[in-house]
Amino acid sequence: MTASTKRKIINKFILSLSTLFAIIGVAFLFWILFILLKNGLSALSLNMFIEDGAPPGSDGGLRHAMVGQLILAIGATLVGVPIGILAGTFVREYGKKSPFADLIRDLSDIMMSAPSIVIGTFVYALLVAPTGGFSGYAGITALAIMMVPIILRTTDDMLGLVPNSLREAAIALGAPKYKMIKDVVYRGAKVGILTGILLGIARVAGETAPLLFTSFNSNFFETDLAEPIASLTVTMFNYATSPYEDWQSLGWGAALVLAGFVLGLNILGRIWLSLNHITRKKILKKRKR
Amino acid sequence: MATVDKINEEIDLEVKNFSFRYAGSETNSLKNVSLPIAKNKVTALIGPSGCGKTTLLRSLNRIHDLYHGNKYFGEIKFEGHNILEEDEDLIHLRIRIGMIFQKPTAFPMSIYDNVAYGLRLQGVKDHKTLDIKVAEALKGGALFDEVKNRLHDDADSLSGGQQQRLCIARAIAVEPEILLFDEPTSALDPISTIAIESLIKSLKDKVTIVIVTHNMQQAQRISDYTAFMYLGELIEFGKTSKIFSNPDEDLTKQYIGGKFG
Amino acid sequence: MHNRYSLKEMFFEHLTRFSAILVLFFLSAIFIVLIIKAYPAIHHFGFSFITEQKWAPNFELFGGLPAIYGSFISTLIAMLFAIPVAIGIAIFLSEIAPKSLKSPIGVSIELLAAIPSVVYGMWGLFYLAPFMRDVFGGNGLGLFTAGLILAIMILPFISAITRDALNTTPKILKESAYALGATQWDVIKDIMIPYAKAGIVGSVILALGRAFGETMAVTFVMGNAHQIPSSIFEPATSIPSTLANEFSEVDSELYLSSLYLLALILFIISFIIIAFAKFYFLKNRVKRKKRLV
Repeated sequence: MTASTKRKIINKFILSLSTLFAIIGVAFLFWILFILLKNGLSALSLNMFIEDGAPPGSDGGLRHAMVGQLILAIGATLVGVPIGILAGTFVREYGKKSPFADLIRDLSDIMMSAPSIVIGTFVYALLVAPTGGFSGYAGITALAIMMVPIILRTTDDMLGLVPNSLREAAIALGAPKYKMIKDVVYRGAKVGILTGILLGIARVAGETAPLLFTSFNSNFFETDLAEPIASLTVTMFNYATSPYEDWQSLGWGAALVLAGFVLGLNILGRIWLSLNHITRKKILKKRKR
Repeated sequence: MATVDKINEEIDLEVKNFSFRYAGSETNSLKNVSLPIAKNKVTALIGPSGCGKTTLLRSLNRIHDLYHGNKYFGEIKFEGHNILEEDEDLIHLRIRIGMIFQKPTAFPMSIYDNVAYGLRLQGVKDHKTLDIKVAEALKGGALFDEVKNRLHDDADSLSGGQQQRLCIARAIAVEPEILLFDEPTSALDPISTIAIESLIKSLKDKVTIVIVTHNMQQAQRISDYTAFMYLGELIEFGKTSKIFSNPDEDLTKQYIGGKFG
Repeated sequence: MHNRYSLKEMFFEHLTRFSAILVLFFLSAIFIVLIIKAYPAIHHFGFSFITEQKWAPNFELFGGLPAIYGSFISTLIAMLFAIPVAIGIAIFLSEIAPKSLKSPIGVSIELLAAIPSVVYGMWGLFYLAPFMRDVFGGNGLGLFTAGLILAIMILPFISAITRDALNTTPKILKESAYALGATQWDVIKDIMIPYAKAGIVGSVILALGRAFGETMAVTFVMGNAHQIPSSIFEPATSIPSTLANEFSEVDSELYLSSLYLLALILFIISFIIIAFAKFYFLKNRVKRKKRLV
């Protein structure tokens, strides 16, 4: 057998193997998706959206958890996004390539990948143990801490895409730096930052671990942030591990709603970004002419 | 019709009524091209951008096959055998017909491993044989003296001109019969360009060379035969001295005279 | 006029700087709080905490070894499955799949990376664990099942980044290998993988960090047994799942402190893994990209 026939056989073999691996991997992923759809759809009902939690066997819903989830996500966004954007602005516009700015970038990368349950234990020590109770505030804090580095990094990247000539033009017109940032740089990076926010919300909305001992859970409709608040994720965990079939089914319903929400945000972000990409290209073309 | 001068040489490759169409395109990018490639000579393909000279060059080792949907029509005969046939052994073909690209393409490995790469693909494992052949190839690529003390350094550490000579050494290490050069000096400085040109001239004792070039002086300096192409067609083919001094076709005259391009 | 501007200017700059410092503050605060909270356990058990196997809250005896062991082994199992399959998927997506399949499969894999881990955990509990029980006996819970779910969870992540890294290989570099008579696999293994190595290794290590710190995907199927199981098919535990299961039910200070010590250990190990991936591998990428561009 010549070397080249041998190589051809090995080539065929490995490429088939990698196709096989791809099929197996994709099959598993689609299996999960299929199960989620099947069980989730069969659990879907009007009740799920208008009823609150109830004991097993009494036709409860998930309204409390959906509202709780929204409150937590919105709260975390309100706290985390401004801090993230401002910090991102600092590293890109003021700190630039200084060692301090690089340190902040590196630390936020590390924080982004830190185990989320550790953040839960941290907030527990900070807000739950001293006040003597689980609360919506604690849950929001935990999620906001997770959100800051995500927003920081996207802001940093997106501001970096704004051409320097725009900055120079604004400064040349006599604008002070903060005005230049506010009126020119932010405007130029708007879509990118908004997409980053969407993805950030999607990311923290799927989190369970940091909520387990902060906002905890509740079977009631609760809007008081000083009280424990239900979330879809923790409810899923509790319902799925319960022995009651109707609760387990509701768990799948919660999983579907949550996954739909998270995937919806992701898809929206992608479409948004690609649309913006297209318009940006068009603008560039026009400029060239 | 194109003017294709008869030549009195041993023919290595014979392109006959050859057309080429890119995937997804409605029209042929090469139209009915016929020309001979003389053995152990340098043949230059010249013409303005988009004339199809690179497309023709890339057909000669069928590198177009890497992308689905590209179509060949006609014949390219190599030792009497049409290399455009469906069941052509492309690996074997490409071992016999090597290629040098527009930019240096050093692989992410050491200088030595770059040169040894083609040999290893062919199953050469013996260290002594490899050492000898690598050294020979590097000498053939006029690079040996510059790198002999750092053969195991990353190929990245070489300059652009050195990297291009490394690529030539890598190509000649497998002892091909034909070498295809696709604007090999377009990314290089004048001094490196001269080095590559004299290297090409010295290589033709052993291999047949086809070179695509933008630079007419370069074609004049190094080639024996020249083919002038325009809009996918071969306009004129003949001895380089004739093409540049006394071409038959008006289009060739205009191009040589710098009227367009 | 000038003064008013410079005042606002100063205010804005300090506001951004303060926000950036908050990141530094959070990270150091996490460290400090964990150390303070874990101190009673560190003081009480000392180094033996990480070698002790017994976890008996009733007797105020806490050993972290089973949880640490479980975290390592389940992550190891996950990586063993995920790396070859993910690289297979990446090769398939970048080199083998026809154009019409590349983008739909690629996008759906990226989207799957966004699905909350709790969904993976739930699937594991209701589908994978029973399947494991039927095939391997026992109750289907344990390190193997947990490792498998982790593998599936990190699969999209590694595949997507590896595919992107492979795709950065310049076309001309691939062509010149084909021009020497290389096969597709020769090009993948000799040119593309070495070229993309930093990105691939970096993404694998980041995924390892993720698997190591993951809570929800594994808590469902670990079996919550504080033991070093005699086989990977027996119930076990990991650091995150111990925390998830026990943190809100503690009844003594030493118990809570021991859990904080576990959290501290988890945090430090994750920190090291992530920092290693980021600084050692993912930074080299920039250098590589400069070539041939």
